[in-house]
Amino acid sequence: LNAAPGRAPRQRVRFLPAPAPGGGGAVELVATRVPVLADHPLVRGPRFKKLKMGAGHRLDVKASGVFVLGIGHGNKLLTDLYNCHLTKVYIVGGLFGKATDDFSDTGNLVEKTTFDHITREKLERILAVIQGTNQKALLMYSNIDMKTQEAYELAVKGLIRPMGKSPPIITAVRCLQFALPEFQLEIHCLHETQQYLRKMVHEIGLELKSSAVCTRVRRIRDGIFTVDDALPRTQWNLQSIQEAIRNCQLKVETELEKTL
Amino acid sequence: GPPHPRQLREAEEAAPVFQYAGKAAKRKDRVFVWGFSYSGALGVPSFVRPDAGWKKPRRIQTTPYRLETEEKISSAACGYGFTLLASNTRDITKVWGMGLNKDSQLGFQRSRRDQTKGYEYVLEPSPIPLPLEKPQQTRVLQVSCGRAHSLVLTDSEGVFTMGNNSYGQCGRKIVEDEIYSGSHLIHQLKEFDSEVVQVVCGQDHSLFRTKKGSVYACGWGADGQTGLGHYNITSVPTKLHGDIAGVNIIQVSSYGDCCLAVSDEGDVFGWGNSEYLQLASVTETTQVNVPRHLPFKIGKVKEAACGGTGNVVLTEEGNVFVWGYGILGKGPNLIETAVPEMIPPSLFGWSDFSPDIRVAHVRCGLSQFAALTNRGELFVWGKNLRGCLGTGRMEDQYFPWRVTVPGEVLDVACGVDHMVSMVRSF
Repeated sequence: LNAAPGRAPRQRVRFLPAPAPGGGGAVELVATRVPVLADHPLVRGPRFKKLKMGAGHRLDVKASGVFVLGIGHGNKLLTDLYNCHLTKVYIVGGLFGKATDDFSDTGNLVEKTTFDHITREKLERILAVIQGTNQKALLMYSNIDMKTQEAYELAVKGLIRPMGKSPPIITAVRCLQFALPEFQLEIHCLHETQQYLRKMVHEIGLELKSSAVCTRVRRIRDGIFTVDDALPRTQWNLQSIQEAIRNCQLKVETELEKTL
Repeated sequence: GPPHPRQLREAEEAAPVFQYAGKAAKRKDRVFVWGFSYSGALGVPSFVRPDAGWKKPRRIQTTPYRLETEEKISSAACGYGFTLLASNTRDITKVWGMGLNKDSQLGFQRSRRDQTKGYEYVLEPSPIPLPLEKPQQTRVLQVSCGRAHSLVLTDSEGVFTMGNNSYGQCGRKIVEDEIYSGSHLIHQLKEFDSEVVQVVCGQDHSLFRTKKGSVYACGWGADGQTGLGHYNITSVPTKLHGDIAGVNIIQVSSYGDCCLAVSDEGDVFGWGNSEYLQLASVTETTQVNVPRHLPFKIGKVKEAACGGTGNVVLTEEGNVFVWGYGILGKGPNLIETAVPEMIPPSLFGWSDFSPDIRVAHVRCGLSQFAALTNRGELFVWGKNLRGCLGTGRMEDQYFPWRVTVPGEVLDVACGVDHMVSMVRSF
């Protein structure tokens, strides 16, 4: 950033003595534009000594995926985006047959169970129940009076969302792949932590009268930012970052206007 | 020091494997009840008479409560303060009843204290002795309950009726000053043009639908609910004509004083009380005593359900339409309408994410509605009289709300202040 051409130095009009056209020692004041010395790069030093960076929603060590960061003035937008309470989408991979103490496949083994009785149908039934109970929680935590016409209109559009603090809520779950003993789920959620998602995989295993551990958690969407907007490690350079910020600016503005 | 990864792996492989459910694990059928319990209609005696010192009487059960039954229940019906459960088994005991029995709507329940008298309140599911000719062969197909009478439909021995008959709703001759409490009388009805395939109880009248598609009625007719062209009492089941003459009716419904019928072509016919705009689309009169075709342009109708003041129909596409008076399910602003209005499918869980959710059945209580989706979820809305909605709250519900039931809901029966559902475990 510091290597990029900086701002041109400010110009100032000064009356400088210059030799008169007549000659012979007389001095005339001529107005000239001179650069201000205070703006000289050697006086000023490098433009950026440090950059303020803020992080969006947390992503723990064992998980991967989209991670939103704010730079400099963008940090103010981070708080606004947090207050929008947009849903995040995760791809969660699970494995039947094992139960561990920290619900992931790297933990200490607690129990092994059979899983040959599990079918895709049974799994989808459990997912439907999870969605149902979370739907109720969604309506309850959104602090809307159920008796108003407004509540009915929002419920029809599906726009009821808790706009304050709430426990983790799952808005939608879907089974993407099912190949015993592995399965993959797509989960849309609010106010969650990755450990909560791992616990959910464990509880799904228990409901199906077996046990399950979570093998991977990958966030593919955080509010308006998707995997397509995100930069992989190979693109962590100034050019791509600037381009990405420019592309997302419009999206962020429209979303903030819509919600707040 | 910390265990070597290879040791961990070996320990893991050597660990025993537990089996909690085999491949052939069957899903169990269960009954869940909720609502007002002091009438005994929920069938849980400890709610009314606590059997342990620390238990307190529970007047209202606001969330689904599991009811243990001896047999698998295939049909249930809720009346006004009582419930009937039926199983299609070949065993001797096929029907159980609980709740109010002041008019012997649950048959004669011999009291243990006095062998000559019967119980007025039955607190737990008790067998109802039906006078069957072949008790080990006949199966009970369906039961239905009204205000103070009940109907039991069998596959080969016609319909059995019991309870109050002061308006002829049991299909037998009215006896003046008959005392219904503690009565042993259960009447059998066999005189129909073909086999009866559905029985429906209104408040004080009975409807019978036969295999040939005709409808018979008997009972109180002051609102025209018998549909026989007059406003008098009928004590013998008589065939209905009017707009349904010659039409193959595939479903009939009633609970209060209004009746609806659905034909095989998807048309809706109505008769009875219209004080709440139920039939205002065809007439301004408040009582209609002949079945009239309701010219709704909502598509082919698959199922209809009649409540006390509101009606609901389900179309072939899976859309739910409501009309009438009361809490109809479209927010507090819609109180009455004569023309059916559709309830948006997004309220039943339909979304871009799950686009194949459809409503499969609709049911009506006196002032509440219930809808079952094809995924086995139960949605209720309407007046929450004494906790009958099962939502866990005591407030009325102005739009469809999910009821949390641990299982897939197969069927639900709605009463005045309680509901019974048949659920299959996961």
